[in-house]
Amino acid sequence: MVNREPRGHTLPLLVSLIILGVLLMTFDVRLQGGGVVGVLRTGTQTIIAPVQQAASYAVNPVADMIDSLSNLSNLREENIALRRELAEAEASLVGVQDQLARLEHLEQLYGMEAAGDEIGRTVANVIGRPDAFDAALIIDKGTSDGVVVGQPVVDTNGYVVGTVRSVTRGSATIVPITADRQALTVMVGDQIGSLLSQVATDEMRLEILTAREPVLVGDEVLTSAVSASFPAGLPVGVVIEDAAPSIDVLNAKVDLFVKPDTLRLVVVLAWPPDPITASSGETILPAETSTTSTTTEGDGS
Amino acid sequence: MRLPKGLIVATILLFAVVIQITLFGQIRIIAPDLVMLVVILLALTRIRPELVLGAAFLSGLVVDLLGSSLLGLRAIVFATVAYIALRTKERAEIGRFAVALWVGILTLIGVVLLVLIGTLFGQTSLLGPNVTRLILVVPLANLLLGGLLGPVFVRLVDGSTTAFRFS
Repeated sequence: MVNREPRGHTLPLLVSLIILGVLLMTFDVRLQGGGVVGVLRTGTQTIIAPVQQAASYAVNPVADMIDSLSNLSNLREENIALRRELAEAEASLVGVQDQLARLEHLEQLYGMEAAGDEIGRTVANVIGRPDAFDAALIIDKGTSDGVVVGQPVVDTNGYVVGTVRSVTRGSATIVPITADRQALTVMVGDQIGSLLSQVATDEMRLEILTAREPVLVGDEVLTSAVSASFPAGLPVGVVIEDAAPSIDVLNAKVDLFVKPDTLRLVVVLAWPPDPITASSGETILPAETSTTSTTTEGDGS
Repeated sequence: MRLPKGLIVATILLFAVVIQITLFGQIRIIAPDLVMLVVILLALTRIRPELVLGAAFLSGLVVDLLGSSLLGLRAIVFATVAYIALRTKERAEIGRFAVALWVGILTLIGVVLLVLIGTLFGQTSLLGPNVTRLILVVPLANLLLGGLLGPVFVRLVDGSTTAFRFS
């Protein structure tokens, strides 16, 4: 039975709170997560971060144990597959070492020096997720480790995960590309298109507006040099259905290499390598990607 | 010495937020919404309804600020769920099983509202690959936790050893 007692001020208060909530949502949409909303986000995360990090030390072993128990059968199969992969990798390593020795010899011979990988990398632990419905990842590295808003994030294999949405001194929030409202500019073969998230699936939709040739199952999807958010050539996923251009537009399904909800470790790339130092203090913004101190404008391309 | 009720509630809510984002953020098989659970259970205490609504709104705001979704989304959902909880709490006051069921139904209303309002505001990421499973699993997990922890929670907040002792 519903309570029929005098309601006091609860109904007007609820209506006021809903109006306030809608206003906040509208502000957030209009400001694209920046401005006052961005400051509030960073402030709250700064306050919660120490408690969260302390708690994660205690709960991580428990989480690992429960997760392992629930995936025991999968772990056995994964273990067998990993042993096989390790044997194959060890065999190919011998070949690579030979090639490296030859390369070094040739470099010495011609007085050359190979260009190094200039992109800095920060390995971070995933220490939390806001709730079951929010795909964002919270990591244990922040501005004190050189992480800044807008930087691209990959997994330990170099596959694209997402971008840094907001950052505090000791933590950062990552938005996976599957949850990003902005499309990601990618390249399939020599064609450039956009990768868009879809409802109720972790597959993404590839859209090429000036398609010249079909894409085939197994074609690899890489980040494009046109992208303002990611360095070119990072693997994103693979095309899972053949698709031909209709007039000059092509749509295809793409399966991502990374499943964000299973990640425990990520790598934040210091990209672009020469970020612009913001006047607001310790936050450094990557060039071309953001106009605010806490959010990125997405791919922006 | 008896601690102020506001401090107890704030501490419990902070604890719920931290456990939600750390422990349950990493265990995929168990997916309760602890903050929503605390908000619902607050309706069973002797705290003024206006304060329950305020606490629900603020805790939703904190979860929004910690995540990537729109600011105000969970605040609206939690406040609405708290209001429905306040209006229907007599249904839960008859026994532990009733508390569990009541919590489960309210959580179901909450997650459906979250998905609906989120979708209206363009939060398509809420409709991820596991959305159907989550709409069922989150209320079920809260139902179990509500049945187990509900009476203890009310006794703790109200400082009464006799509250919610079902015969």
